[in-house]
Amino acid sequence: MLAASLTAVPGNLFGNGLAVALVVLLHVQIATFITGASTLAVVSESIAMARNDPRHARLSHDLVKASAYVFTFGSAVAIFFMIWVLTALWGLFFVDLQRITFYMFVFEAAAFVVEIALLYSVYANWGRLEAYRRARLGLLVLLAVVLWFQMFFINVVASYMLTPNGGDVNQLSQVLNPTFLPLQLHRTVGNIAWAGAVLAFYAGLRYLLATRRARREAAVGTVPARSVGAMSASRFAPGSPPPAARDSRLPYWDWLGQWGVLWAVGLSLFQIWIGYSYAKEVQLHAFPAWFRMMRGALSNVFLVQIFLLGMIFILGTLYFWRRMTASGARGTRTQIVCLVIIVLATLLAIQPAWFALSLPDVQAAHLDRPWWDGGLLNPIGDFIPNKVFALVVIMLCGLVAITSYLRAYSRGEVRMGETTRRLQGVLLALGVTVSLMMATMGVIRENSRQPFLIHGELRLQHQQIVTTPPQAPP
Amino acid sequence: MLRFATRPLSRRFRSGYRWVDERAGTTDLVHKGLYEAVPDRGAWAYTLGSATLVLIVLQFFTGIFLLLTYVPSFASAWDSLRFLQTSDRFGNWVRGMHLWSAYVLILVIGLHMLRTFLSASYKRPRELNWVSGGILFFLVLGLAITGAMLPMDNAGYWTTVVVTNIPHYLPFIGDAIRTLWRGGDFVGPITLTRTFAIHIWVLPFLLLALIGAHLYLLRRHGEFGAWVNYSTTTDDPDREIAERIRRAEPPYPTLRIERQYAAPRKTVGFFPNQLFKDTVVSIVLVAIIFVFGFIAGAPLDARADPATLTYVPSPEWFYLPLDQLLVLTPQTYLIAFGVFLLVGLGSLALILLPFYDRSPARRPLSRPEVLVPGLFLAFMVVILAVLGVNRLYGL
Repeated sequence: MLAASLTAVPGNLFGNGLAVALVVLLHVQIATFITGASTLAVVSESIAMARNDPRHARLSHDLVKASAYVFTFGSAVAIFFMIWVLTALWGLFFVDLQRITFYMFVFEAAAFVVEIALLYSVYANWGRLEAYRRARLGLLVLLAVVLWFQMFFINVVASYMLTPNGGDVNQLSQVLNPTFLPLQLHRTVGNIAWAGAVLAFYAGLRYLLATRRARREAAVGTVPARSVGAMSASRFAPGSPPPAARDSRLPYWDWLGQWGVLWAVGLSLFQIWIGYSYAKEVQLHAFPAWFRMMRGALSNVFLVQIFLLGMIFILGTLYFWRRMTASGARGTRTQIVCLVIIVLATLLAIQPAWFALSLPDVQAAHLDRPWWDGGLLNPIGDFIPNKVFALVVIMLCGLVAITSYLRAYSRGEVRMGETTRRLQGVLLALGVTVSLMMATMGVIRENSRQPFLIHGELRLQHQQIVTTPPQAPP
Repeated sequence: MLRFATRPLSRRFRSGYRWVDERAGTTDLVHKGLYEAVPDRGAWAYTLGSATLVLIVLQFFTGIFLLLTYVPSFASAWDSLRFLQTSDRFGNWVRGMHLWSAYVLILVIGLHMLRTFLSASYKRPRELNWVSGGILFFLVLGLAITGAMLPMDNAGYWTTVVVTNIPHYLPFIGDAIRTLWRGGDFVGPITLTRTFAIHIWVLPFLLLALIGAHLYLLRRHGEFGAWVNYSTTTDDPDREIAERIRRAEPPYPTLRIERQYAAPRKTVGFFPNQLFKDTVVSIVLVAIIFVFGFIAGAPLDARADPATLTYVPSPEWFYLPLDQLLVLTPQTYLIAFGVFLLVGLGSLALILLPFYDRSPARRPLSRPEVLVPGLFLAFMVVILAVLGVNRLYGL
């Protein structure tokens, strides 16, 4: 009895799946931030050195500090939870995966060691390295490269699980599986975009906190705050200087917010095509998984993903428009036009192609005809050409919006510190949207393989097989 | 005549040169070619233009050697190249150099355009330099793809089938262009003859004419360099610029340009300073091509088999972005309107860049309206190429 309980997998499929999903989603958000932040730190440090820009100098330092803190927490998550969840709840699968992708995990672990050494060295010696800025930049570049390779190794494992390509017998095929390169590209770009979104979120939050304090102080100084109404009236009293004028840190948070938005939205422009190509490879090499994603049980979750993608561009353009308006910059009309078109294109892109859970459900009910003929199909929601067209329009309008904003910025028409509190809400929403987007993508990708854990090779149910040890003869 | 023949060799050369010089003005020509001012800063970046010229010359030389053996007929093209590969001592090497120099040429000309784009050297009055350079870029791409069709191995044949079919997607005139190129409805002997004529006569003729125009325009306006060459250092910039213009060496000051950019702050002689750098870069590139040509040579697939059902054609690497774009737009009308419109408008926008980017700003960060879309396009091309490589070669 004791022996049987020792070999039994604890929990059940649903609970174990939920546990791994929660831990992995947390882990992914942390790991991708550190990888993206390391690249942004290199960019900021380079600009700081080339142009002697104190904002970038501060940002690169802040990014290293943030990476160190987040890494400390993230590695604890990885060690105490991820390994525990995977080995205890998904032991059979994880042992199989370790066996097949042994070298990738070894290299990953080695990269981890180098990352620890580099990150904490730079973090602890930032001030001492001030006199050797080139060396410090070199260390930052090295850190970014190591993190990129760390992502490389884990991407081999992740992509192998979806398109194995005979990788269990051939190490090279494992690395060069069909979805590896699209995934690597996708995450290289996505990590930086995510780090940008985190920066925007953080900047928005700090701006709100700073102005709240400043406004409170101003309210206390002018009108006795006997009531909420009186306090509120004092805030909007004519002639009172804007909060930005009172706090010297506000221009920095404003600048950081726009810097983050530019990375988050700018790099998301590429994600449309990279993601599309990624899906194309899945279609060619793991058709059942693609079918489940695009036409099966996950097809409606995919619509949520498209909605979140559209929201990233809507929030980004909204931010550019309102930010330019706050400074009285020229070109706001372009932003409004782009915003309207992106909203319309998003509405087109999120149209479901069928009013059911999946296409097979529609076919099973013999209702695979357009809704205007009494069926459940909605040809307006067809991926080709309608969704493709909508996505291309979103991409082009996003490009125009970014260009228009940068044009105003380069002319000095967008002055830092002139933003509004309401606009910080857009930054917060952008951060949350990108985070949700990543989570949704993870859910879609990991669930598309069902009923497999390794596509076509290892079934989910194999996890639950318990081998009962031979009974001792009576 | 007897007196000439009995002189020492060096004197004979000297007097012979003088004879030619009196009639052709060679010394003046050499002086004009060598003794001109170029901006001091960023000189290594300017070597890409001369490297492009050297690589085109290398293309011509190796192409002439290939012509000595190659037979442009449907039946014999493959055999002639097979002979060149196996029986000619240097045949594979020369063919390899022809191929690799084409590859390097495309890269170098692309970098040259990128440098010109970033430094805004295309602006008034150098618009025609950019236009001629842009057309040269597309001519080189045309030469590369027509060259890939000529071997009539499986790769060449199927490249011909795919490429000559592309015009078919053009509305209204597409089928007529395809029939004209193919010499009928299908790829056949006439297709090869016409492609060969395009590769060795039509495109090189246009190429040479445009190179001449490009060089003439370069010499007329002078090398722009980059914005760093035109910054002012004194408290009185107007006076400093006026002084700079007054002391400028030919071909500066550039006419019909903003005063600030009429003459660089500091110049050096094209000879020996710039020429030395040009030579170093060109020698390195040619050496790389020699080595790659020798080691890797040029591939020759099996003889073309129009009936094969198993051969999977793959495009040349420099067409991978376009190929990937075609893969991602699978329906006919998307190809017709999306890709043709996108590529056609993109190419047109590239060539006509100086006519809509007319602001006086030269610093890249001061002109995001062209820099952001330009870099976006460049990254998209790279990303599509990488994805194309992944799809075709399993990387």
